[in-house]
Amino acid sequence: METNLVIEGVKFMFLGMGTVFAFLIIMILFMNLMSYVIHKFFPEPQPSADMQQAGAQKDNKKIIAAITAAIAHHRQG
Amino acid sequence: MKNIVIKLLASLMLFAFAFSANAAASEHATTEQQVSSTHKEENYQSKPFSEMITGFLESTGIVALVNPREDEMSATGQPMSDFHKGLGRVIMILVTFLLFWLAIAKGFEPLLLLPIAFGGLLANIPVAGIAGDHGFLGVIYQMGLSNEMFPIIIFMGVGAMTDFGPLLSNPKTALLGGAAQFGIFGTLVGAVALSQASLVDFTLQQASAISIIGGADGPTSIFIATKLAPELLGAIAVASYSYMAMVPIIQPPIMKALTSEAERKIKMSTLRHVSRLEKLIFPILVLVLAILVLPESTPLIGAFMFGNFLKESGVVERLNDTLQNALINITTIFLGLGVGSKLAADQFLVPETMFIMVLGIVAFSVGTAAGVLMAKIMNLFPGHKINPLIGSAGVSAVPMAARVSNKVGMEYDRTNMLLMHAMGPNVAGVIGSAVAAGVLISLFQ
Repeated sequence: METNLVIEGVKFMFLGMGTVFAFLIIMILFMNLMSYVIHKFFPEPQPSADMQQAGAQKDNKKIIAAITAAIAHHRQG
Repeated sequence: MKNIVIKLLASLMLFAFAFSANAAASEHATTEQQVSSTHKEENYQSKPFSEMITGFLESTGIVALVNPREDEMSATGQPMSDFHKGLGRVIMILVTFLLFWLAIAKGFEPLLLLPIAFGGLLANIPVAGIAGDHGFLGVIYQMGLSNEMFPIIIFMGVGAMTDFGPLLSNPKTALLGGAAQFGIFGTLVGAVALSQASLVDFTLQQASAISIIGGADGPTSIFIATKLAPELLGAIAVASYSYMAMVPIIQPPIMKALTSEAERKIKMSTLRHVSRLEKLIFPILVLVLAILVLPESTPLIGAFMFGNFLKESGVVERLNDTLQNALINITTIFLGLGVGSKLAADQFLVPETMFIMVLGIVAFSVGTAAGVLMAKIMNLFPGHKINPLIGSAGVSAVPMAARVSNKVGMEYDRTNMLLMHAMGPNVAGVIGSAVAAGVLISLFQ
């Protein structure tokens, strides 16, 4: 056996991990860039909830009460 | 009454006509039969009945197993040892029964393990040669595995099932998915070290194919194995899928050993809302990056992103539905049977299989540990803290690994929901192992 396979393996490891991290770091940078651009220039149309909100207020309180009760129950159990 | 008589007459006439026609035809047929029977007698020699019985008995499976034929060749056309023709096959059939039990009673990835195990059972039948070039398992293998077609189709389906939302809302968790790929390359070094110590004889290609088990991604493992070391495919696929099924057993002890109680209780900030446009652009973005950085990884990443793009586009619901259900199910059946054909005794009952099983679990464990440690390293930097338990989800195994993170987290704080946070590194792990696979392929070009 002329070539030392372990040294070859270690070379593979550095190259492989380097590529994986390089790829993912570039991907993260572009993801951040993309979300910045999209939020700045193409914001999602907010659902115009102003009209419904007044009516929904009461229901919301009921729902919150129900959720709180459920969580309390869950913690006890 | 008159009607009935007419009908009777008519039917009689019809009958008589049919009969005469029939007689004429049969006359014709007898002459033909005589010709063909004289023709047949040239090939078929009449034998005494006792000889016929012994001849039949010699062709039974029992005789083939106990007293293998000299001239029987393996599926690849190589001569086989008597052990692989006889007792080895019995052992392999028992192994497939064990796999049935694991799949059915223990719920170990039954969707793949059952077709693989049944394919293995069929591949070990003597004389029939089902896994050979002209057997149906052999044909399935040629059709979609030797050309790496099936894993690619599976990847499309997985892409259509994947939601990149959690990753997009917390991009830095992608690093955890990268760190977990250390399982692949660490094991590669381990495998070549074993080979260097002359314990076993793995080439660099074989060692790479084995180490990709650490990516915890079935289709990627099969893709690389068929490309770099098709002779090891059976063992690699079985190891890969059975360890993926064992993620809930393998990972928690490692996760607990490497983290402190306080770290396990870290609560992560809620994920922000991700807009539809972001989700739509993301697959194209990753594919463009893959094209620029590592074109070798684009078969896998391209198929994956194709599936995801169809899903996020929202206008091809039918195609998306087919990818997620019908297509991936059909392909899974063929993929399983094709892989099973590599469970033939002469290919599976070799010393290498044992090392593959051991290296596979090492790869999984190292990957898990690397993900957890990476999360701890990231916590040393300022910014939102990361619960190290989600690091283990960086080994792909979607969504099992993320569920394990969630479960372990809930053991320490029942209100701490880590599932969505863990999905980020989880899907990043899929991209990471596809990149790692691309690196390995490019190294052997």
